[in-house]
Amino acid sequence: MTVSAATRATPSSVRRTLLTCRNLSRHFGDRVAVDDVSLTIAAGETYGLLGPNGAGKTTTIRMICGLLRPDTGWVDLDGRRGRRARALIGYVPQDIALYPDLTARENLVFFGRLYGLGSRALARRVDEVLELIDLRDRRDDRVEDMSGGMRRRLNIGAGLVHSPTLLVLDEPTVGVDPQSRHAIMTSVRAFGAEGLAVLYTTHYMEEAERLCDRVGIIDRGRLVAEGTRRELVARVGERDRIDLVVTGDVDALVRACRGVPGVATANRTADGAQLIVQDGNELLPRLLAATADLDAVVRSIEVSEPDLESVFLHLTGTALRE
Amino acid sequence: MNAALVIARKDLRQRVRDRSALVLGILAPLLIATVMSAAFGSAGSFHTTVGVVDQDRHELGAAFVAMLRSPDLSDVVTVRSVATPAEARRLVHDKKLGAAFVLPLGFTPAAHGTATARIEVLGSSDQAIAREVSAALAESFAAQVNADRLSVLTALATGTSAARTAHLIAASARLRLPVSTRSGDIGAKRLTAISYYAPSMGIFFMFFGIGFGARSYWLERRSGNLDRMLAAPVRPAEVLAGKALSTLVFGLASLLTMAVVTSVFFDAQWGPLPAAAALVFAIVLAAAALTALVAALARSERQADGVASTVTFALVLLGGNFVFVSSSPELLRRLALLTPNGWAMRGFVDLQSGAGASAAVQPVLAILAFTAVVAGAVALLARRPVSS
Repeated sequence: MTVSAATRATPSSVRRTLLTCRNLSRHFGDRVAVDDVSLTIAAGETYGLLGPNGAGKTTTIRMICGLLRPDTGWVDLDGRRGRRARALIGYVPQDIALYPDLTARENLVFFGRLYGLGSRALARRVDEVLELIDLRDRRDDRVEDMSGGMRRRLNIGAGLVHSPTLLVLDEPTVGVDPQSRHAIMTSVRAFGAEGLAVLYTTHYMEEAERLCDRVGIIDRGRLVAEGTRRELVARVGERDRIDLVVTGDVDALVRACRGVPGVATANRTADGAQLIVQDGNELLPRLLAATADLDAVVRSIEVSEPDLESVFLHLTGTALRE
Repeated sequence: MNAALVIARKDLRQRVRDRSALVLGILAPLLIATVMSAAFGSAGSFHTTVGVVDQDRHELGAAFVAMLRSPDLSDVVTVRSVATPAEARRLVHDKKLGAAFVLPLGFTPAAHGTATARIEVLGSSDQAIAREVSAALAESFAAQVNADRLSVLTALATGTSAARTAHLIAASARLRLPVSTRSGDIGAKRLTAISYYAPSMGIFFMFFGIGFGARSYWLERRSGNLDRMLAAPVRPAEVLAGKALSTLVFGLASLLTMAVVTSVFFDAQWGPLPAAAALVFAIVLAAAALTALVAALARSERQADGVASTVTFALVLLGGNFVFVSSSPELLRRLALLTPNGWAMRGFVDLQSGAGASAAVQPVLAILAFTAVVAGAVALLARRPVSS
């Protein structure tokens, strides 16, 4: 499967809007899981919902897929709502949701029939999907006899069998080995290239950067920013990120860094500190000088160009993986 | 409704592949019904071997043995002569004999005179029925002898000459008490144990399908497949209907197999085909509705298991699947009619006893009413949101 450069080059602003969510909110008791989230996805666009665990990604997509009723707000998919809209969505849950005692083909046939596909069309489509996920040779194997990677691919295939216009993938690479992860990401890029709109939730910044035309950053239930990678990075002013691994008095080091001119933000991380700075390489000597007399030892330093991690840190004050 | 059919079809495919479901649905009820029939099937045709120690060796002892060997008792007892009371005791103890009679030396003279004549019955608590039957036979014989004695004494008291005493005794010995009993069934046919236990065990094991269906609903939820189904244009009620439908089809297959196999190989009577089929369909429909109810009531896989087990055992205990309801106390007989299986068993028993097909109408209507109530409850519960 190859990515069509022409499709990816088409700006989302000129594509037809497929999914519109407006003011989605959902509470669980006193806890606000999703707070006034609005987003749109265009046909053929891959949209990444990026945020840490518990940010509200899954709750948002469950409302989009009709699995959870929003307290407020609405979802429109290509002019349809409710049950009719659900027929256009291919939902791929985070955990593998298949029947282990059925074969790959039987699983796909079952999910295809739920969408009302007729026998002939279903048989043809099942063959296409098996080809797409590279399981044609294993079509008659039971899922319980398949490897983890094969199950992952079949899990995605089950969301594709009815030819949806929007594919919703809920953190499909969590707990997956690198090889399967690569295969999944290649597939997702191919889906976008073929004109399928994809909503992809992840807490891996690299995935969002590599796969998505646009990214929505969600934190504590709120969509705090949205745009292309370039647009989002521009919000942090093309600033660099410095990750320090520190032992000793980290808090003192963070305080000292904040006092250095050119440091936009300085925050403690699990093993040290993370700084957003104007020019990392130029600032580094001054930072080391400012922290030299402290009771803290800098074990390693990593200077990164601006990325979504920096954006997330800038917008939320916390690192994505914290 | 199409989604319900799709889900039921998938469930049935899984059940067929699950050997434990086949064992529970087909083999186990056949096996248990056969075992229970073997255990209780001989209750209506009791037979035992009794020993007789005839130390008397006179005409009364011979008359007693003749009574035991009479054609009337040939279905009940086989008589074996035993030399001594000690040997008789040993044979009873070793269960070679059900019981034994000891006619003591001087038994006949005592009966002719004024002394007490005794027949000793040797039995054991291990063979209580044989002991009781033997005691009853001895008492019956004693009653006959007393009647003979009374008739002779009456004749003598009314002036019959002493010379005719021997003739009177001989004549009275040929008499039998004028009253005798004969047991029979009200219905046209006698209900056999296999005819009772075939449907009762079939229904009992078919009810296990309630747990299968309800548990699979929650298994779907735990595995994420329920979300996947509900993300498709499928309503929660259609998923419940699919689960109920698979219970219905599997239950029908299970009970019909039971009916065919027990009829062909064990001569079980299920009654007229249309009436029996209506009863089978009605009770399976009730089980299907109960599957949906348990799935809708429970909030976890474990709860579904617990609720299904409770419902199943409550129904089979109250409904009389383990014991003949007709021999239960009045309260239990009334409680049985609160259960669909109680009504079904009542219908089957009536049909097996030779009642016409119309005997199934009331039980079928009662089961359908039960099903309708359960289905109504399911419809209400299915409106609850699936996710909180």
